[in-house]
Amino acid sequence: MPRRGWVIRDIKNPESIAEHTFRVAIMAWVLADQKNNKLNLEKLIKMALIHDICEVYSGDTTPYDSILPKDKKKRQELLKTWPRFSEKEKKRLAEKKYKKENAGLEKLIKNLPSKLQWEIRNLWMDYEKGLSPEGRFFRRADRIENFLQAEEYWRRHGGFSLKPYWIQAHELHDDPTLLEFIEQIDKEFHKGKKSKN
Amino acid sequence: MDGKIFYITKGKLQELKKEYEELLNIERKKALGQEVPKILESEDLNPEFVSFQEDIGFLRSRIDELKNILEHHELIKAPAKDKRGVVQLGSKVKIDVDGQRDEFVVVGTLEANPALGKISNESPVGMAILGHKVGDEVVVFSPMKITYKIKKIKYDVS
Repeated sequence: MPRRGWVIRDIKNPESIAEHTFRVAIMAWVLADQKNNKLNLEKLIKMALIHDICEVYSGDTTPYDSILPKDKKKRQELLKTWPRFSEKEKKRLAEKKYKKENAGLEKLIKNLPSKLQWEIRNLWMDYEKGLSPEGRFFRRADRIENFLQAEEYWRRHGGFSLKPYWIQAHELHDDPTLLEFIEQIDKEFHKGKKSKN
Repeated sequence: MDGKIFYITKGKLQELKKEYEELLNIERKKALGQEVPKILESEDLNPEFVSFQEDIGFLRSRIDELKNILEHHELIKAPAKDKRGVVQLGSKVKIDVDGQRDEFVVVGTLEANPALGKISNESPVGMAILGHKVGDEVVVFSPMKITYKIKKIKYDVS
């Protein structure tokens, strides 16, 4: 299943959810390793493996979906910005997404042994709600994989704006290890220079 | 558990205290072999802590996590009236981001969730707007210029 964020940006043969899952598991492991045993790696990697499995049934979504125009030019225009919503709308969209994904997860795991069901359910809940240091770290690391992929597609194909990704990065990330990684990405892809893209 | 201070709102503190008490109660009952009421279907409780009762490992690690937070927290309080003119932890800020309107509450990392308008005080944007007043323009670079113009600051800490 292709990642919807790339589909709406017309990226050809884009990263799939499975490819994203594999890479974010590796990234979370490697990045967490720099935190000197502060995180439980087994929990983190299991969380990475299951964090998007609900999408088998719920499908992938993006923050743009509720306002995405069908017209290609208008869509490209919208994708130059980070979508902004009222407080009420933010809450409504988050609840809708949570309910849909939770239902997808339950449908997928319902025939597993009970103990495994609970483990997967708890790992997913931890990721969704940031209940433990691993949940909070992985929730952010998940966005970093997406951010790195955006930079890679932008360098390879161009044709879309990186600005929403940088806005999201600046508003979301607060983990020192991940902020340092963002600085490295800036140096690698932009050589630390200011850009209009 | 690295001794980090968690800045949390009063509402969050009450929620975490309640969860801590509930989970300790469940753990106690389980240790005594007593039946734990099936509360999974209850709509009064958050699903995340309801599910912990079914998994001892998760239950204990969540109790430890909550204990650590409750022992190392600092409550976010509304500042004195004469100090409410600048963005601080707990501020609700109406903002213009490159021409788009939005509203953020500046919170600690534990409650941060930009999708719900809660920005961490340790994020680049959170750090950049702290200490600024209405009318200030804060520019965040690297690699592109993004301007945050502060339109209104309110305190509604709960």
